[in-house]
Amino acid sequence: MTAFRRWRAARPFWGGLLLALGGAEILLTQKASLKVVLHIGAQGLAGYLLPVLMLICGLLILFNPAQRLFYSICGVLVSLGTWLTSNLGGFLIGLLLGVTGSCLAFGWLPDQEPRPARSWRRGRVPAARP
Amino acid sequence: MASSPDAGSSAGATPESSGAREGGSVPEVPESPGRRGRVRLRRAAVMAVPATAVAAGLMILTAQGALGVQFAISGMPFTVTATNLDGEGFAQFGALDQMAEGSPNEGDTGGQVLVVVSAIKKATLTKLCQSVDLGGTNLLITAGQGSQKVSATNLTTDSTELSGNAAFDNIEIGNDASTLDKSHARGPKGVFSQQADTVHIANLRQTNYATTAAVFKLPGLKLRFSDRGC
Repeated sequence: MTAFRRWRAARPFWGGLLLALGGAEILLTQKASLKVVLHIGAQGLAGYLLPVLMLICGLLILFNPAQRLFYSICGVLVSLGTWLTSNLGGFLIGLLLGVTGSCLAFGWLPDQEPRPARSWRRGRVPAARP
Repeated sequence: MASSPDAGSSAGATPESSGAREGGSVPEVPESPGRRGRVRLRRAAVMAVPATAVAAGLMILTAQGALGVQFAISGMPFTVTATNLDGEGFAQFGALDQMAEGSPNEGDTGGQVLVVVSAIKKATLTKLCQSVDLGGTNLLITAGQGSQKVSATNLTTDSTELSGNAAFDNIEIGNDASTLDKSHARGPKGVFSQQADTVHIANLRQTNYATTAAVFKLPGLKLRFSDRGC
């Protein structure tokens, strides 16, 4: 648990997770057979490309947080694009997840002073352990 | 250090261990017990405000019918209704959709489902209603309720049920599906098909089994959850 908390504290965890989940949700809403999508042409393929990019950006934010600004800017643009290409952004749900996640990742900074409430909780955690 | 029982003091005692491993995301400053990454609201707002504005702009433009959106849905029961459909370049043919091997829905069908593929190159619809059953609740999309009509290009649907009052111009019935030329889609060889220059269907109702993929312009778009489908 301690290892996970430390890992989480060193990256925009919720931002990356929400962005990746948004991409996955959009992909789930469009399992159309690829044969027909190919009939529609390159535009139809963009419907798959954008949520896959969201998924990749979200995972990269988690595993390569040093580049989080670039990934989050890409993520927010791609998330907004899914409104046009992918079932209204996975019927709005995936788009909201993606935009929220990108904003969280963009606003995240490492090594911040703890909030008063946080330090109080932190102080209690070691004491609670046996 | 991860197994150390006292997280707070061990983090302070070994400043370089986590900083070096995280590939530069964690600064070289020694990590004191309470210091960790955090979202700064003002920084997040720098992106959130324009992103919200763009999202709102996209939705408004879509609702005015200025921007087209794409749909590609399947695997869910999916109903489309419209009071009127006018189309140019219509083709229709039968096709077999193959289920995944060993699918529980197979029954005695051998895993194949007969569907009707309808392809319309350019279609305008009035009072479009589209509902997806999400189990318990329906996601309802309506558009084109006002004077502006919904328009779609390269509309392709695989449906099991199609009802309505239809009228065709220059219809050819009984073509081989691989020779269709009036619409954008072509079927497999040796399959019955029909095609027409124009099509008009009143009180259209479609249950789509597998697929729709098209560019839609949806003036007067409304997206909501509802107990009842279309």
